[in-house]
Amino acid sequence: MNHKLLTALAILLVAAASAGCSEQQQSENEIRVGVVASMTGPASTTGKDIWQSAVLAAEEINADGGVFVQDLNRQVPIRLIQGDDESTREGGLKAVSKLITQDDVDLLVGGFSSAVVLAHQSIVADHRVPYIISGASSTAVSARDDIDTQYMFYHRPNTDDSSGVATLFIGDVLRPAINAKFNFPDDRPLRLAIIYQDSPYGKGHLSAIHNTIEAHDLNIEVVAEESFKMGESDFRTILTSVKAARPDAVYAVTFLNEQIPLVQQARRDVGLDTIFLTIEPNDDPDYYSGVGRYGEFSMLESRFSPYAAPKGPTGSAISEFVDKFNARWGGFPGMMGAATYESIYIAAQAIENAGTLDKAKVRDALDALEMPQMIEAMQGGVIAFSDDYRESKFDLYMSQLIWDESVGELRPKIVWPDTLKETDLILPDWYTPGSE
Amino acid sequence: MDLNPDVFIQILFWGLYAGCIYILLATGLNLIFGVMKIVNFAHGEFLMIGAYITLLFLALTGFNPYVLLLASMPMVIGIGIMVERLCFRPILGTGKLNEIFVSLGLIYIFQNGVALIWTDEWKTIPSPFVDITVSIGSLKLPLDYLIIIILTVGILAGLHIFLRKTSLGRAIRATSQNRKAAMLMGINVERMDMLSFGIGTGLAAGAGTLWAVSGQVFNPYMGSIPAIKTFAIVILGGLGSIPGAIVGGLLLGITENIATFTLGGAWKDAISFILLIVVLIIRPTGIFGEAGE
Repeated sequence: MNHKLLTALAILLVAAASAGCSEQQQSENEIRVGVVASMTGPASTTGKDIWQSAVLAAEEINADGGVFVQDLNRQVPIRLIQGDDESTREGGLKAVSKLITQDDVDLLVGGFSSAVVLAHQSIVADHRVPYIISGASSTAVSARDDIDTQYMFYHRPNTDDSSGVATLFIGDVLRPAINAKFNFPDDRPLRLAIIYQDSPYGKGHLSAIHNTIEAHDLNIEVVAEESFKMGESDFRTILTSVKAARPDAVYAVTFLNEQIPLVQQARRDVGLDTIFLTIEPNDDPDYYSGVGRYGEFSMLESRFSPYAAPKGPTGSAISEFVDKFNARWGGFPGMMGAATYESIYIAAQAIENAGTLDKAKVRDALDALEMPQMIEAMQGGVIAFSDDYRESKFDLYMSQLIWDESVGELRPKIVWPDTLKETDLILPDWYTPGSE
Repeated sequence: MDLNPDVFIQILFWGLYAGCIYILLATGLNLIFGVMKIVNFAHGEFLMIGAYITLLFLALTGFNPYVLLLASMPMVIGIGIMVERLCFRPILGTGKLNEIFVSLGLIYIFQNGVALIWTDEWKTIPSPFVDITVSIGSLKLPLDYLIIIILTVGILAGLHIFLRKTSLGRAIRATSQNRKAAMLMGINVERMDMLSFGIGTGLAAGAGTLWAVSGQVFNPYMGSIPAIKTFAIVILGGLGSIPGAIVGGLLLGITENIATFTLGGAWKDAISFILLIVVLIIRPTGIFGEAGE
């Protein structure tokens, strides 16, 4: 009996040792990158964009032999491991825990919803895994001080950046254009209605709009503020309320699946013939096709579109990325896809700079990183993370959606700032300004 | 905020439209519960399937999507009958937990099945009457919503006539009122189960078609929230009571929209459950429910 027990124990020990060796060998043979994406649930369209773009980048890097790791004195391929956050906080916790504790990833990339990322950041902090977050724009994610976020890097503009740019555009460009077209006095304030998602993302943008108005002393009067629950698809009552406030423009802080019915219901059901402004998560081919003609002349704050290239050196990089994505997946990438594609390259560069897969050294390499911009136009033409909250800084722009008869869809045209613009802002004939 | 009567009537109208979708869903769920006494958590998935069948037939035939109610409802009735026969009948009477887990399992099966066929991207269905509005007094109401209200009334009237005037309908009612007595009277109660489950899911599919045509976006996961609210309506109106489902649906639709207007959109979902709690405190069996149900 004892003999049998000893034999069984010996077999177990050998098996465990072999597994350990195999694990060790595996960790030296590949760089394991966990991709946190909403593959199911309400944000799955964006999740798919994130995953497909990450795969494209990893395949390109691996086709060139992989990432050179000085410690190993050879090139090592990247293996992506999918972590589906199911578009929920609980799903994100589960996915990130598994990626870190079971899949033993070297690095994490992705993350879309601010609420979801906020929930799983503490696990990342506890395990000290470098995490390049390509979404989650709320400053509540990057500026939080209740956990140690030093392993987290943010390759996206935050809510202050995005809504700051859009609000400046409203004050400096849209307001004078409306006043000029309707012969209003030059000092007439613009009447702005804000519809925002009741989430850290929505509240972050709401606060950024107010802060920008105050900081720049913009002549904008906020005449209505309406919130809605994440995933809402019936906006008719909110829009009726907004219409009653008689705004000059409506600023909507939404996700793609919310923005489409919001604009359609506003124009079609409520008769709110105004200019809609929204922010970058909605700059997506699915938005142009989904919203149809109702979205014509609406405005988007953005940094990437497969159909609009800002003046400057990134134009050819955008077309190249779009073509490669289309060839690989049959379709066009969205903005989150572009940021995640770049994030994989950022991860590869950081590991190469660190010369090791040691997580602390990779973190330090990310902190010190300076690499040329890729697809999206960066401030100073360089991808680097800021000293305060480790955020990269983008050249943001405003585009206007114009109907393209040849394709039967909307297409964005960059209208601001002057350094990047393709065409001028248009106020359509059907546009009705607000009134007291 | 402008509280003029026109705005208020407009809000009531949106509540009425939302109520119509809820009524169809809740009536179906109540019919199933009334006859089989099972709680089908996957009921919202039949709404989702109804929307996708409408999308499929729209692509195949190009017909007016309202006409496609004639495709989505019968097809989902067929699917419902299969689900009842294969999933619920074998476990009927084996305990509530089994019913709950079967219906929860069905949610995942339907969601993933639809995502596999149509992907999980958001879809929309354009209405042919999208630009037509009807003036009623100073209000301009989109024709689509008036059609949805009229169709809902029509479907409910048809159901009422079926249940009251046909022998099959009377047999369903008899099974709902007293299953054992119905069996003793020679009614094939298993057939009534199958039929009521089919009709209940068909009503959900009708709600799905109307939901999709009214300018809502949909994807395979869109059925969950309406299903939760439908359960609230069913409890609010009284378990197994079809008049309760109608009154509960209208009450919820209108209350939600008034709450959104007065308190803000963040309260929209919360108000359903506040209303439910208030009604249950005052009348624990729901508005039309009877003690012992």
